[in-house]
Amino acid sequence: MGVLIEGKNLSKAFGGLTAVKGVDFHLSAGEIVGLIGPNGAGKTTLFNLITGIFPPDTGTLSFKGQTLLERKPFEICRLGIGRTFQIVRPFLKMTCLENILVGIIGRGEKGRGKGEKHEEAREILKVTGLSAHEPRLAKDLTLIEKKRLEMARALATKPGVILLDEVLAGLNPSEIQQALELIEKIRSQFQITLFWIEHVMGAIMKASDRVIVLDQGRKIKEGKPLEVVSDPRVIEAYLGEENA
Amino acid sequence: MGSEPKDTFPRGERAIGRNGEGEKEKIEPLDESWIEIMDGKKIGFLIFLLILAIFPPFVLSQYWLHVMIISLFYVMMASSWNLLAGFTGQVSFAHAAFSGVGAYLSGMLAVFLGLSPWLGIAAGTFGAAVLGLGLGFLCIRMGGIYLSLTTLGFSEILRIVITNEDHWTRGTMGLQVPGLFAVYSKTSYYFLFLFFAVVMLVFIRRLIRSEWGVTFRAVLNDEVAASASGINTIRVRILAFTLTSAMAGLAGGLYGHYLMLITPDIPSLGQMFLVLAMAVIGGMGSFAGPILGSFILEFLSEYIRSWGEYHVLLYGLIALIMARFAPEGIMGLWAKRRRNPWAS
Repeated sequence: MGVLIEGKNLSKAFGGLTAVKGVDFHLSAGEIVGLIGPNGAGKTTLFNLITGIFPPDTGTLSFKGQTLLERKPFEICRLGIGRTFQIVRPFLKMTCLENILVGIIGRGEKGRGKGEKHEEAREILKVTGLSAHEPRLAKDLTLIEKKRLEMARALATKPGVILLDEVLAGLNPSEIQQALELIEKIRSQFQITLFWIEHVMGAIMKASDRVIVLDQGRKIKEGKPLEVVSDPRVIEAYLGEENA
Repeated sequence: MGSEPKDTFPRGERAIGRNGEGEKEKIEPLDESWIEIMDGKKIGFLIFLLILAIFPPFVLSQYWLHVMIISLFYVMMASSWNLLAGFTGQVSFAHAAFSGVGAYLSGMLAVFLGLSPWLGIAAGTFGAAVLGLGLGFLCIRMGGIYLSLTTLGFSEILRIVITNEDHWTRGTMGLQVPGLFAVYSKTSYYFLFLFFAVVMLVFIRRLIRSEWGVTFRAVLNDEVAASASGINTIRVRILAFTLTSAMAGLAGGLYGHYLMLITPDIPSLGQMFLVLAMAVIGGMGSFAGPILGSFILEFLSEYIRSWGEYHVLLYGLIALIMARFAPEGIMGLWAKRRRNPWAS
């Protein structure tokens, strides 16, 4: 399994606040890697660094050996890194079909007709269980449907990796089950590597191959899910110091 | 969407407006095969065009024909502004300024170099496109109100320059320019404006129905999400800016050579707000909205001309009422009525 994304010594400060401090990480092809940590630990900032929303202050980032630094978000997407957003961002005033089409068009492939692209978009809607909503505007969808649509849009860009930012937040138990099924499908059927921020511990512990824990911008632990949850530093980060 | 015939606009339409004989040509392509694949909307559109081509020049007085010509100018202005603001979310206040660039460039080339107005209009269109490219580039990192303010500034700078450089532009006295036809005839101008308006609308319609339309709206909806989905948002925004500036330049060039007197009123903010009101009242982000708004407001302004300054007040009032009760304009109201029977 080759290394897909590799980040070394990544730091990012916003004014006086250092959101990410000297973080090293890597993602291997086919893995599901969980990224956990308390609020404000720098998880989403790390995602934003990878996807080029803003550049890191220090450190290097590469995807399949090519550097990601100095690249714009759309170029990074075209290289093969898709993402979803913590607060869902589907194109609200566009139909579900059009939302997917944006991802397909975003690949920038030449020489494919409109009909072919529509066909592919419908196929993706089907896989993600949104077929019935094809002509509906995204703003009329429920939260779980919007999250599905975001994952579908990310899928449409034909990524090698998808960064999932708290896709389970705000869902009820049965919806969580549905979302997990879709995530499993994305991994097994499309062979997509997943880097996954989540607060729903049960889910991420079960699904992840490896978990990275951030606290106050630093990586405090990395390892198998069970190792990680039993680590005193991780417990401390989440629950506070013992006898404090 | 996908099941419609690729050629949205039948061949015969291109003949419209070239001359009075055009109407006969238009009927020919409407053989049975066309009727089969055309839906009601397109037939309606063709009939509407036919009426526009036959009715005004032969029925209306010279005065109302003039009003129709001016309306068509505003159709071009409001529709192209809508492509920029309603489809990519860049609310520019420089659209009238770009029409001024087209008008003045073309006019000055004709007056000082003796260039044919037709070539002048082409040059004016190109000049507006280049300036639009430049302004679009400046505004890359700006969104919302900042972009609007920058374009507002550009618009005012241009107006002040034009007003003060009076040895070139004759300032507020206005620059007298030659007309487009050897023999002045409102009917000729009417067909010319109709031709360019239809060509522009066909172009806009095709654009918003193409992949570009989808990417335009993606940028409008959410720029961050669009770029995270592989869309080069900067290119989309600059393209829209350049394209719509060129359209404004073209409209302005035609307008100048129709009025034969170009004044700083063309690139003024008053003009800009009128165009904006037309697009907003008609319905921003819809294709038909700005067309409807242009005709309604231009005709309305003829009726309330005697009110003097107060007619601006009425526009403001209408715009306010629309903003409160129908933010999506007349087209939005109409779409709502059509949707409602299914909604609870």
